[in-house]
Amino acid sequence: MTSPTANRRQRRPVVLLRPVPGDSAVHRLWAGTKLVMVAAIGVLMTFYPGWVPIGAVALLVLVAARIARIPRGALPSVPGWLWILLFFGGLTATFAGGSPVIDIGSVSVGLGGLFNFLRITALSIVLLGLGAMVSWTTNVAEIAPAVATLGRPLRMLRIPVDEWAVALALALRAFPMLIDEFRVLYAARRLRPKDVAISRRGRLRSIWLEIIDLLAAAVTVALRRADEMGDAITARGGVGQISASPARPKMIDLWASVIVIVVCGTALALELTILGTSAVTT
Amino acid sequence: MAVTGDSSMSRRSGSLSPGELAQASVIAALSAATAIISIVVPFAGALSLVGTVPMGLLAYRYRVRVLITATVAGAIIAFLIAGLGGFMVVLNCAYIGGLTGIVKRRGRGTATVFFSSLVAGAFLGAVFVAALAIMSRLRHLIFESVTANVNGLAAVIARVPDMAPLADRLKHDFAVALDYWPYLFFTYSTVTIAIVTLIGWWALSRVLSRLFGIPDVHKLESSDDAAAIGPVPTRLRDVHFRYPGADHDALGPVSLDVEPGEHLAITGANGSGKTTLMLMLAGREPTGGTIERPGAVGLGRLGGTAVIMQHPESQVLGTRVADDVVWGLPPGTKTDVARLLDEVGLDGLAERDTGGLSGGELQRLAVAGALAREPSLLIADEVTSMVDQDGRGALMSVLSGLTQHHQMSLVHITHYNDEAETADRTVNLTGNGGAADNTEMVETASAPAATVASGHHSDTPVLELVGVSHEYASGTPWASTALSDITFTVNEGDGLLIHGLNGSGKSTLAWIMAGLTEPTAGDCLLDGAPVSDQVGAVAISFQAARLQLMRGRVDMEIASSGGFSHHDRKRVAKALSTVGLDAALAKRRIDQLSGGQMRRVVLAGLLARSPRALILDEPLAGLDAASQRGLLRLLAELRRNAGLTVIMISHDFSGLEEVCPRILHLQDGVLAPIATTAGGMS
Repeated sequence: MTSPTANRRQRRPVVLLRPVPGDSAVHRLWAGTKLVMVAAIGVLMTFYPGWVPIGAVALLVLVAARIARIPRGALPSVPGWLWILLFFGGLTATFAGGSPVIDIGSVSVGLGGLFNFLRITALSIVLLGLGAMVSWTTNVAEIAPAVATLGRPLRMLRIPVDEWAVALALALRAFPMLIDEFRVLYAARRLRPKDVAISRRGRLRSIWLEIIDLLAAAVTVALRRADEMGDAITARGGVGQISASPARPKMIDLWASVIVIVVCGTALALELTILGTSAVTT
Repeated sequence: MAVTGDSSMSRRSGSLSPGELAQASVIAALSAATAIISIVVPFAGALSLVGTVPMGLLAYRYRVRVLITATVAGAIIAFLIAGLGGFMVVLNCAYIGGLTGIVKRRGRGTATVFFSSLVAGAFLGAVFVAALAIMSRLRHLIFESVTANVNGLAAVIARVPDMAPLADRLKHDFAVALDYWPYLFFTYSTVTIAIVTLIGWWALSRVLSRLFGIPDVHKLESSDDAAAIGPVPTRLRDVHFRYPGADHDALGPVSLDVEPGEHLAITGANGSGKTTLMLMLAGREPTGGTIERPGAVGLGRLGGTAVIMQHPESQVLGTRVADDVVWGLPPGTKTDVARLLDEVGLDGLAERDTGGLSGGELQRLAVAGALAREPSLLIADEVTSMVDQDGRGALMSVLSGLTQHHQMSLVHITHYNDEAETADRTVNLTGNGGAADNTEMVETASAPAATVASGHHSDTPVLELVGVSHEYASGTPWASTALSDITFTVNEGDGLLIHGLNGSGKSTLAWIMAGLTEPTAGDCLLDGAPVSDQVGAVAISFQAARLQLMRGRVDMEIASSGGFSHHDRKRVAKALSTVGLDAALAKRRIDQLSGGQMRRVVLAGLLARSPRALILDEPLAGLDAASQRGLLRLLAELRRNAGLTVIMISHDFSGLEEVCPRILHLQDGVLAPIATTAGGMS
């Protein structure tokens, strides 16, 4: 039997904390290397948000995505209102004018405003893409051990890095369970009849009460979960190992780091010398 | 889970206790989830306001070290998913929530919160201004870009006749405001933090008053006994136990011995103290009598005592199977993970995600984790009660072989009679008379063949599923098919059981029939129109009843779910009596109900709206024998007398025939052949 209705167009959802299946060079990189890279590039972009660094990092992200064979389907659908917002943002920014000015026939248009708007948009997209690359290529189980290894120097300052790493691992374990429970909570709320309050004041009050109710339900569920988890930890005799085979950085991590440092270093040098676009001019 | 009780106990220094660590982790996940939703979902930014409540609760109940741990873990997760924005939201929530929680713990009032929020806001404002001063290029870019937008808007306004002065004004004022940005940001931060803190304070106070009186479910106790480990032989003499604040003993008096190398089964109805006995064996001090052991209990230690508990999902701590086996072992311990997994029948799954395992597999994984500690005593506490038929068989064969292959004693606590048969010896706990009506044991039933209803129901179709297929995350690399081409009809007054194992897609089917999920292909029609346009017309009772109870009190809950005022006592009483509950329960707090009562209150609320059909997802999970029978009798009566259409989703069969004469088998997302004919005949 063939189904009578055609497939409905579905929005691609945001899939959380699940890597794109594969075993590429990017997948094999140690999670710690990826985290350090993202953090370092993030700092670079915050201090030097010029076109050259943005372009260089965008190039890195695209090349990495190609190596890791990330299909276009991994991107969530961009909602329509976001396009509209971007369009109007760009439009108002264009009206502001500013140098450089180009002439189209008899009309001259100043593109300075638009360029600034585009630069900050590109910056946000590149930063999002950078983070997405990590979550698309890293198994969740590798993150906490990597954080423990990276944070080892902090132990000398008597900072409980290992405790944090364990908490991170457990939180990552609890996260999907809580998300599932929230889904049920939200569905249960959808099933209920809408409250009909007469006055606007009454409506506001009932919204507020409803938020408190939902919060209390969510918190109760979370606390139960935590109590059970506490029992499970006690049953294992407390905290100890969190990984059967903690990964270590390998040769490939060294090479990847060298590539990133060279690309970002060149971009920074260009930004500071001949192709600077982010300097404070006024 | 007493809300205040723990705080006095938790004034300890040094590293976190297991309980503190678990609280920190779960609250971290909770606040990361709220932060991510507030960033990813449009117009949900206000959600970050209430994100302060979990952190506030944590700061109220535990010391600052717990709060910091939760903040670090939550912020890292939020950063991984939502970038720097998520990271900042979690930090903010922890900052503000921590403030309110600590003030609350000190017993101070609104005035203290207000003033400390001003100080905290000013401090954060200063930090913010300093950060922007250092990141001059980014600041410049942001300011220029916003200025461009404002100037562009002004340029548009200026074209409107007579509006030119207004446009100039806008441009000028904005430029001036940017000139004074440090003051502007400082004031903005101070005011916002104060407002958000006050909102968080009110919300926290309300939530705390709601959480008061949640029964304490915390059970196991870790001991720091430094003596040599030697849990067996254990000799219990006249042991009894009473929970703090309870008015009768939960256990005892009991006398029994656990000998080295024996397989001992302990049976008994709910309320006879089986789980309390497990706690005694696992090292909790009895309130009376004596427990003799040659050495320390060594809970979770090498060569000590290992415990496997009822809920498969919550005792798994690792994200990957191999990680879970070694979780918690002392650093440096070498473990042959492959051999352990092989012994419990999970060979080759070492690299798999624990999230994808079925209940039975998770329990066998827990056995592997216990065996990694080479325990002298293994306690299995009702390990099969949340596991489906197939999983139960596999798990039992693993358990029954343990005492032959290992130097260990196995204590298996169960309410299934047939499971006790494999043991060397069986001890039956009779309870202390307080639970006399609960004395029956559950018999497991074998699967009856799919049947066609021979019934008295009418032939008016209520729900029609035509070629329903569903795929999660379509179009992404994570796409997975849950259902394919499901076609069947449910008639008015039908009693239908949809049977399937874990992962067969039966819950997805339930959500589709309730209209909560729109199938990717095919149609699910209620009275001829798509059910997804009529959410609420088909009632669904979820497996986790607690998630469906949103109000604090029974009458409010039923009224809100049924759509009337809770002052309407008659209707509340009527709704309660429909599900066989006493009207006196109306003023009871939700969290003081038993599992069976919770499920009935959910049903009362759902039935008060006279739904076209009632879907029940695993209605018997977690209920004891008496509550199970009572609930089934109630459902059978409702179907017979009120003509209610009942659709049950379950991995079990026992006793369901009376409610659900018609059975459909679901396997890997398709209806099994016999059942399809049954569906096609209607």
